[in-house]
Amino acid sequence: MIRKLLRVTMIVGLVGVVGGLGGADVLQARQDDKEDRDQENGQGKLPPQTLRSGFESTDQLLRDVERAEKAPLYSAWIVESSRFMFVPFGGFQPDKAGLNTTVNLPVNVGIIEGPDGKITLYDTGWKQLAYIFDWNTSCCWKGIRDQMHAIGLDPDKVTQIVLGHAHWDHAGQLSEFPDAVAYIQKEELKQIDFFLNYPVDFNAGHIRAVNTVDPMTGAQVGPPAQACARTPVCGYPPQTIQEILGKVLHGKAKIVDGRHEITPGLVIHPAFRGHTYGSQLLQVNTARGQLVFGSDTYSSWTGIRDWLVANIQQTDTIQQFLAYEKCYVLTSRLNSFNNCVSAHEPIAYTAAYPLTANWWNIPNGNCSRAAELILAPGKTTHVPASPDRTLCVNLNAPPHTVSP
Amino acid sequence: MSTAGVGLQRWMTPRLAILGVVSLGLVGVVTFAMSRAVTGPSTVASPRPSPQPSRPALDPAEEAYMRAMWPIHGDVERSLMRMSLGQILYKTDDLSRAELKTRIEQALVAYRGAETRIRALSPPTSLRSDHEQYLAAVRLFQESAAEAIKMFKDGRDEHLLAAYPKSQEGSDKIREVGGKFWPNEFPPN
Repeated sequence: MIRKLLRVTMIVGLVGVVGGLGGADVLQARQDDKEDRDQENGQGKLPPQTLRSGFESTDQLLRDVERAEKAPLYSAWIVESSRFMFVPFGGFQPDKAGLNTTVNLPVNVGIIEGPDGKITLYDTGWKQLAYIFDWNTSCCWKGIRDQMHAIGLDPDKVTQIVLGHAHWDHAGQLSEFPDAVAYIQKEELKQIDFFLNYPVDFNAGHIRAVNTVDPMTGAQVGPPAQACARTPVCGYPPQTIQEILGKVLHGKAKIVDGRHEITPGLVIHPAFRGHTYGSQLLQVNTARGQLVFGSDTYSSWTGIRDWLVANIQQTDTIQQFLAYEKCYVLTSRLNSFNNCVSAHEPIAYTAAYPLTANWWNIPNGNCSRAAELILAPGKTTHVPASPDRTLCVNLNAPPHTVSP
Repeated sequence: MSTAGVGLQRWMTPRLAILGVVSLGLVGVVTFAMSRAVTGPSTVASPRPSPQPSRPALDPAEEAYMRAMWPIHGDVERSLMRMSLGQILYKTDDLSRAELKTRIEQALVAYRGAETRIRALSPPTSLRSDHEQYLAAVRLFQESAAEAIKMFKDGRDEHLLAAYPKSQEGSDKIREVGGKFWPNEFPPN
């Protein structure tokens, strides 16, 4: 027995020595990095390869839940800014590629009303009518101000806009609210700027800064076979960035860096690389617990439920899952993942996505839909007495000059 | 212990117990898998794409013109983006005044070059108005850059604000023309 023990000890020792000679320390974070992170975080909990401003621990998130629960309760709705039609399911969720079917994807905008009647928008939807209607690639667009009027909300009460990310289909109608303050992550802007400096044909065309399709046919140019080659700048037309610039120059923008509490019960959480480099979530305190609006980081609610990636753009899939996890933590007291608000969920506006089950077609809304997510106590519903819930797809888009 | 209990103890040998647990586990896994297969994520059954109206056929002159405009459009967009983001990052103290000056000067050169290149093209009659609209946009960008650059002469940042409406109007114009010429430029995001 003693001999056996000695033999085992010697083997373990030898393995240790060989490991040391072989440079086993490469698996460890550098000491100065660690000290740096300890200093920044104050707790030494920051994992490597995570942007400091993007990291939030479970404890920090739970503290935000506790704080929010003492805050006023908000009401919340979503409206469908437009709808992508017939998108290959696999293009949206890679795990569904085998189904070989298509889905229609709403583009949802969050409307959050505070106890003082002031409204915060989460995203602003589309502006680019030419893109939508010239070739009938989409349906159901309606201006956000008209949509709000039609569901009984006053767009002039919009005082704040949180941009989940700055892609054209989510940040498109900023200029419709000239007096509202827009919140956007600095990381989002810095990364667009960084990638603009990429060579157009870096790595033999595998990585490009912009414009990766044949201008006439829409076919992919060069080796990558994906639309836009998932390149970092292709979702930001200059028009959209101009709208953000307008906000900045007029003193109506708050460029935030990581977590930011707008008011009690309304908290921005970073979700860097959850969809784009500077994506951000919005936690909202409501009577059904914390809602977490996720824009395209939460493109698919079933993706959050079933732990599947979705709408991979400038996404680090691990960061998307970590952003899902943030929702699970923030909603852990009530309703769990049912309170995660998705931007493009195909089954939104049905009972299958329970949060959006109380939906209706927006009157004169060009087939766009609205859903009442939750009302603050004492508030009156905005759902019509006899809501029109017939699935409506308007392929006869409003007239738009097409030339040639 | 009751008679039945004693009987059960005799019948339940350790080997049989392990076998039972394993079998139960397997049954559980199979049942779970079947339930997932039956009730898996429900999706709205989408109809197959109905025939979508496609772009009217282009004649060779139209196609040649659009192809010639494409690289110019790319240069204009990149210059505009660098100038816009430069101003934003300057305002957030992430870009120095000198760096912003360089960006605006470079953009001005690019816009002037784009105007020269566009003027050298001969658009077919059907695209004449789009051609003019794009030229007007490029001129707006030049005027905007020229206004912005004044801030480096008199030190007043207000020139950026004065320059803004022109660059906004120009960006709306090139988006409008771009949507017609190159509808695939910005895919669903």
